[in-house]
Amino acid sequence: MIITKKRDFKALLENIADYKSFFLVGCSECASLCGTGGEPELAALKIALEAEGKTVTGTMLPKTGCQTLGTKIELKKDKDACAAADAIIVMSCGAGTQSAVEIFPDKPVFPSNDTLFLGNMTRFQMFDERCSLCGECILDKTGGICPVTACPKGLLNGPCGGTNEGKCEVSPDIECAWVRIYNRMKKTNRLEDFKKTLSPKNWSASRKPATLNTRGEKEEVKK
Amino acid sequence: MSLRDALNSGKFVVTAEVGPAKGTDIKKILHESELLKGKVDALNVTDNQSAVMRISSVSFCKLLLEMGHEPILQMTCRDRNRIGLQSDLLGASILGIKNVLCMTGDHPNAGDHKEAKPVYDIESVQLLQIVAGLNAGKDMMGNELKGATDFYQGAVVTPESNPIEPQLMKFEKKIAAGANFFQTQAIYDIDKFKDFMSYARQFPVKILAGLVLLKSAGMANFMNKFVPGITVPQNLIDELKAAGKEKALDAGIDIMARHIRQLKDEKICDGVHIMAIGAEDKVPEIMERAGLL
Repeated sequence: MIITKKRDFKALLENIADYKSFFLVGCSECASLCGTGGEPELAALKIALEAEGKTVTGTMLPKTGCQTLGTKIELKKDKDACAAADAIIVMSCGAGTQSAVEIFPDKPVFPSNDTLFLGNMTRFQMFDERCSLCGECILDKTGGICPVTACPKGLLNGPCGGTNEGKCEVSPDIECAWVRIYNRMKKTNRLEDFKKTLSPKNWSASRKPATLNTRGEKEEVKK
Repeated sequence: MSLRDALNSGKFVVTAEVGPAKGTDIKKILHESELLKGKVDALNVTDNQSAVMRISSVSFCKLLLEMGHEPILQMTCRDRNRIGLQSDLLGASILGIKNVLCMTGDHPNAGDHKEAKPVYDIESVQLLQIVAGLNAGKDMMGNELKGATDFYQGAVVTPESNPIEPQLMKFEKKIAAGANFFQTQAIYDIDKFKDFMSYARQFPVKILAGLVLLKSAGMANFMNKFVPGITVPQNLIDELKAAGKEKALDAGIDIMARHIRQLKDEKICDGVHIMAIGAEDKVPEIMERAGLL
């Protein structure tokens, strides 16, 4: 899921200072789980904006904010409330915000969240970054733990000299990804794989912006 | 004599290091380099050490060459992508620089530009492979070069890292990638180092034991607490303490000289790499007390 955090309310107010009325769009998926764009957050932002003398013409929680076409269809029932708003505030990730940009070509759209990373929810509203979307998975070669993400240097061939007692040189709060990989490979009898030298990563696989069409016979990522 | 020839001749080799200045005033570092001339076999030039921005290691290596030094170019993967690294290596080669020490590099988090985007496009093992390729006349994509490099390739290893196994497996990867010599992270426990050496001796590489000058008991305690992979044994800390504040540096010089003597006399390794960290002017004295001058 995509991990987001609420922007400072004062910063949001500065962004929307020139506008009076707003329609709020959340997201039932990631932002709801992050506590940044679900039903309670929509209600809370409405109250906070009204306390600042702003008007909220309506709120809406799409099924999946980043699904542009679906969100557009869902928003049809709120056509009037949307039309009455000077601007749209989106309480989802950057992708959901840009769905709104596409759906509302004539209205300013503002994000209420910062989009942080692709993460796993380890406990309720606790998130770990595990995947960097690098375009070419090496989890088969690294014991199922991604060093591109879990090592601050993204090293591919073992720990750096900065590791200490199994901790990372960047912070003692971080486990050394390569010590974790080593331990897991040892446990699963895969140390032979650890000994193989991995080649430099093919970063062209993660070049931006990407598009993917899986509708045709040939699936192709375009860069 | 080149570092390669010195190590191959079986001589007990001494290297030291200098850190380029932060700014264009290089009087101090030139003076320190001058003091070491004719005394050490080669001089490492650090590459934005601790991720603190300084003069480029390539430029300072060139100045050392002009002074008659044998420089070792430290090259980290933190600040340049694979294009920049190869380009700088070719540049170093045409300037006459023959030794390159390939390292990953400290994370920007440690330095004075914490907001920098770290590169790490490739890492130390792969950089060694790339240098081997340049020596063979090819860039890393296999493109033919007009003229090959002739680098003597070095790498680093932390013999006291914990856990040690993944570190040693990486050490072997570095050898397979083309490392000819290693300079180690600082070691203080010679017996422990002997264990590492009895393992390392099965490989055809030269090992220079890294030695960091202890200037006080406080510094030793600080390193134990904050510097990864370094353990200063209690008896050495007691020795520094017993020497008192004024004589602590002198005691530190004694400790290092003693260690060098033992490493040399017992033929434990192929040489030493002295890291004086701000007391480069003391290196000749250390060498004198160690019986090397």
